[in-house]
Amino acid sequence: MAGAALAEQLLNGLTIGVVYVLIAAGLSIIFGVMDVINFVHGELFALGAYFAFALAAPFGGAGFWVALVVSPLLVGAIGMAIERLTIRPLYDRNPLYHILLTFGLVLVVADLVTIVWGRQGLPFSPPPALSGPISIFGFTYATYNYFIVGSGALLALLAWYVLTRTRFGLIVRAGAQDREMVRDLGIDIDRYYTLVFGFGAALAGIAGVVLGAYQGIDPSMGSSVIIPAFVIVVLGGLGSFRGAVVGGLGVGILQSLTRVYVPFFEGLVIYLLMIAVLLVRPTGLFGDPEWNADAETDAGLLVGRAGGLLDARTRYRLGAACVALLALVPLGAGRLYSPFVVTLLTDVLIWALFALSLDFVMGYAGLVSLGHAMFYGIGAYAAVLSLLHVDGSAPLALVVAVAVAAALAWVVGYLSIRVSGVYFAMITLAFAQLLYNLVFKFDFTGGSDGLFGVDPYYGLGGVGVRLQEIQVGLGAVQITGDGLFYYVVLACVVGGYLLARRVMGAPFGSVLRAIRESETRTSFIGYDVTTYKRRAFVASGALAGLSGGLFALGEGFVAPSLLYWLRSGEVIVMTVLGGMGTLYGPMVGAGVYVTFADLVSSDVAYWRLVLGSVFVLFVVFVPRGLVSLPATLVSTLDRGRGGPGSATDARADGGSLARTEGDEDEEKESGSASEATR
Amino acid sequence: MTSNSDREDGSTVKADASRRAFLRAAGTGIATVSLAGCVSSTDDGGSGSGGGGNNGSGGGGGNGSGANGSTNASGSGSGGGDIGTVNYGILNPLTGPYGALAEEQRNGAELGVQYVNDSDEFDFTIEATYDDSEANPEAGRRKAQRLVDNGAGYLMGAISSSVALALNDFAGSQEVIYNPGAAAIPITGSGCNEYVFRAETNTAQIAAATSGWTAENLGKNVWFHIADYAYGESVLSEMRTRMESTQGFSVVGTSRSELGATNFGSYISQISGSDAEVAILGMTGGDLVNFVKQAAGQGLKEEVNLMSPTMTFQVVREALGDAVVGTWGGVRYVSTLETGDNQAFVEAYRNAYDQAPDAFARNGYDSIRMTAQGIQEAGTADPVEVKDVLAGLEAESVFGSNRFRDCDHQALNPTWMGEIVPGSGGSNATPGVELLEEVPGEEAIPPCSEVDCEL
Repeated sequence: MAGAALAEQLLNGLTIGVVYVLIAAGLSIIFGVMDVINFVHGELFALGAYFAFALAAPFGGAGFWVALVVSPLLVGAIGMAIERLTIRPLYDRNPLYHILLTFGLVLVVADLVTIVWGRQGLPFSPPPALSGPISIFGFTYATYNYFIVGSGALLALLAWYVLTRTRFGLIVRAGAQDREMVRDLGIDIDRYYTLVFGFGAALAGIAGVVLGAYQGIDPSMGSSVIIPAFVIVVLGGLGSFRGAVVGGLGVGILQSLTRVYVPFFEGLVIYLLMIAVLLVRPTGLFGDPEWNADAETDAGLLVGRAGGLLDARTRYRLGAACVALLALVPLGAGRLYSPFVVTLLTDVLIWALFALSLDFVMGYAGLVSLGHAMFYGIGAYAAVLSLLHVDGSAPLALVVAVAVAAALAWVVGYLSIRVSGVYFAMITLAFAQLLYNLVFKFDFTGGSDGLFGVDPYYGLGGVGVRLQEIQVGLGAVQITGDGLFYYVVLACVVGGYLLARRVMGAPFGSVLRAIRESETRTSFIGYDVTTYKRRAFVASGALAGLSGGLFALGEGFVAPSLLYWLRSGEVIVMTVLGGMGTLYGPMVGAGVYVTFADLVSSDVAYWRLVLGSVFVLFVVFVPRGLVSLPATLVSTLDRGRGGPGSATDARADGGSLARTEGDEDEEKESGSASEATR
Repeated sequence: MTSNSDREDGSTVKADASRRAFLRAAGTGIATVSLAGCVSSTDDGGSGSGGGGNNGSGGGGGNGSGANGSTNASGSGSGGGDIGTVNYGILNPLTGPYGALAEEQRNGAELGVQYVNDSDEFDFTIEATYDDSEANPEAGRRKAQRLVDNGAGYLMGAISSSVALALNDFAGSQEVIYNPGAAAIPITGSGCNEYVFRAETNTAQIAAATSGWTAENLGKNVWFHIADYAYGESVLSEMRTRMESTQGFSVVGTSRSELGATNFGSYISQISGSDAEVAILGMTGGDLVNFVKQAAGQGLKEEVNLMSPTMTFQVVREALGDAVVGTWGGVRYVSTLETGDNQAFVEAYRNAYDQAPDAFARNGYDSIRMTAQGIQEAGTADPVEVKDVLAGLEAESVFGSNRFRDCDHQALNPTWMGEIVPGSGGSNATPGVELLEEVPGEEAIPPCSEVDCEL
């Protein structure tokens, strides 16, 4: 009997496992060939299910079979369109930009789906022949699950055949190894890229149809599958088809067994597994280290470069003026403008500090952390726990927040920094998700509700004031609670910025920049690269913890959503939006992002569509961020006047890695010849 | 320089916070809440704060807008019975997993506002501002702040318990009245406060209708499967406590899935392989739909009775179609009820949105209407006064006469046990709900002595 139960659980695992294989295989092929980390893959999967729903309706009983064939083709076509229109312009950039681009596309596709099909779940069933349970040798199990396992295995075999035994597969694999060589052989590799993307999308589409009939169709189905799919791809090794198969089936079965035999680890086990695998094999189970190295050297991060236009003195003055202006804001609240301005700016400043912390590692040390929300979140949780259980002192809570976040950053940094590039992004994501799932499981963290009801005072040892009880001011101008808290935040943020700037101006900062430019050369010079990276990571974690602590003080509660991976995504968006590697750029980015998101989310019905579209356009056209807009405009104007010297100037001031927009345009014009030289 | 506001009425810190909120509101000139007595304190600057306090009430809050000479902060602050305009902020999580329910909730609230504005019973009009709370406590809280900063004295909305609890807290500190849309116990339990009035039916009330009937008719050997979050735990503890009094009741097993999980095969196999006669599912939305669909596919429905407090939701029945027929559920509301003015509501809803209303629409509608009756009775739009009048006030609702009871401000909604039956009209019709047993409002709610809330 126990044997039958185990067999049934294994079948359950296989059922979801083969679907994972289909999704992960597409994701992995796309990465392997084009170095694109495709976040929109989950939405393509959802599209498969939605198209199936729409296609099946007119055909009655045979509808499912029609959908199974037509829906993947449509999804494939959409995938090809996405590749042509948005991803193609970004091929020679660091994979980070693909993350950002596809992140924007996720918002767009998800909202388009809701516009067309509504927010409610939709009914879509397996055909009558496959529904219900079936008994084989006295063992009863769902017919449709057998179908999923069978058809999934067949498709995986087919995909394997296409990749290894056909001309298409040959070229694709060659392109993944060395794209220039393939081009030089006279093969139009770009066309194959489009086909590969379409092929991967179609696989996701099939998975969507099959799984949609199994579990139901709703707008969140895309986002629920994307993180497990990434875990599988990374586990198996990016770009490895074999890895996707082993990873998909392994994760499916492991999840299934965990639920029955060790339910506490539900939601944790796949992240633990991924971390463990990456620590032993830094490029996943079947990852090809050569491919990865190739991706690393391909293109650097495009740092912002506003410095070109203004001299240091003017910039210093501009910064001081900004701070002065910010300091005046609460004075006019409620008179000249709504007091909500203070609330919103407090929010902006907290995000700005968070974005600054990310820039510290991403813009300077080149470490793309996809799990930075964990430091922010743990800072907030630590602050609230300190306020609730230790003492109501706000400064103490902030110290605790910073200390706990820094300690976590040390541990995570110690384990993660040995892996590099995309794997680093993914291992930090795994740590963050681990923490996110953990807070649900304990009472002291308040579970899904979070923790409420803190009432901090500003002082130590029970002596101090509560901001809500005092008024500060002269004459007609009185500043109370929220206004005073605003000054606390402003002081912390300015302090954080000055500290970060000081550090980056010191030799430590120069070493970090050297690491970003070329890790190998820096280590040849004799620097202990890993130690530097770790220190930067700890400092960054501490700053993120401070911003989380400030959030907790201001809002008086914490909830698990503070740790969710989307928050990490958002802060990367802000950093790139503003212009990374400048410290103040990400802060500007945070201001623009938070304000814009706040405005559209209140006043526009399908605001994610707007936000996502803006974001896609931005990544394609202004990759260096807002702070480089003026310089870019000037250099474009100069080029327009035809001065050959001006382009050289721009290059000189941006440094070799920070190519200008103008340069890129030139390269595009001169065609593939210059690409080959890169 | 620094002065501590005097508090004539001996109220605590919170009073300052609320006055602050109103000062800000008044200052912006957007406010429509009549509280001019307060305004003088800021405008006079350091005069040692608002000695005026809330001295209104006498003439229905109409103590004139004169104090703030520059703006018409108090709107039509005339005397007599005219209360003027009430500013209601309505927050629905359109983005996120509860989008479909949020849409209903918003539709219901819109109709509620329209009802109040069209009716002669009310000496005021409601001006509603709508926003998206994104199913995220941080966003919900910021949006609420925006609404209150722009003059809202009343808030309604949210669906998930964590957002509702964050708004509870916010409403208490800002002294604005809040009608939550979440069903978890702590909202009018451990997390309650005097500004929170819940027209939504809570988990304990539903458990009252479902637990006894389930134990007697569906089976005494029970498997609990819940989504691992506040609402799920709430269902588990309420149902289990109530069923324990039944002779022969036993819990065969308990399992928990992650919130938002999509694959339930393992749990279904476990339940199927156990001696359970009935499986009680403490989950909602996509989790519940996915579970029941997979359970039907694996044949669990033939072996075990499936019961969920939210199984009868229209969105669940629509998404599952035939797969849900033959399961059981608690009923918060169905459009076929003949109670109160429900049929008028159903007709208005059909006219406006071309479909029948469901539980969340009912909640949006009644939250606004019941609170409006409190405002009318208090004769002022000032939430500080309305909250005292509204507690315990007999108010009309689609369930007939109802009230937010004194001890925890929970509305006394009746609940039902229901069975899902094939839909009438065509093969693709959405399955319907057959009501099996009603528990009247007074009996469904746990006695005040058992509630973890002190008001």
